[in-house]
Amino acid sequence: MEKALQVIEEITRQGIIKAYAIGGGIAATYYIEPVLTYDLDIFFIPAKEGLDVLAPIYDYAKKRGFKSQAETILIEGFPVQFIPAYNDLVREAVENAATLRYRDIEAKVLKVEYLLAIALQTGRAKDKERVIRLLDEAVIDRAILRRILKSFELTDTFRKFERQFHER
Amino acid sequence: MNDKAAEKVFRKKRDRRRRLAKLPFEKKIEIVVALQKAAAGIRKDSRHIVWPI
Repeated sequence: MEKALQVIEEITRQGIIKAYAIGGGIAATYYIEPVLTYDLDIFFIPAKEGLDVLAPIYDYAKKRGFKSQAETILIEGFPVQFIPAYNDLVREAVENAATLRYRDIEAKVLKVEYLLAIALQTGRAKDKERVIRLLDEAVIDRAILRRILKSFELTDTFRKFERQFHER
Repeated sequence: MNDKAAEKVFRKKRDRRRRLAKLPFEKKIEIVVALQKAAAGIRKDSRHIVWPI
């Protein structure tokens, strides 16, 4: 995993992407109990907007000899999925990422409040479960969360969700 | 009576999850890999790689 994180940092330093943050199951695992996951999800802001924002990453991977499998790039055998920031919430989340430490490597990770808001917005069954777990197990700054939810018109969705699934 | 017993079990589960949430990140990744190995032992799937950490 260190190698994968180093390569992602290198891709950012070289300007192939503008910014990134770990999301998905590994970001969740950073804040709550470990969950079974198989990919390291990397949300990123492309260096240049265009039709195929993944192409520069795949070109870099090819030059480095990393193979791809399905929708992931295998970095030293470690499956990494690059996901372009697909809306304003995800973009802001990447821009405001926190820093985590894994062994001797520092990497960017979505802040827990953004992770929760993105899961709420995405709204699949597994996202709803993630929201429940984050509310139950993670340390959440409610003021920051309220601001994010308000900015992205998720306040009502969150209220309904709390009423339905989560007792405080 | 049953309600109280169930409540106790749920509380213990919640407490265990909260303890796990506080583990160091490196330890959590080791647990993720242990989960991947356990799942691979039950069902082979070439898309699901056990991480080489």
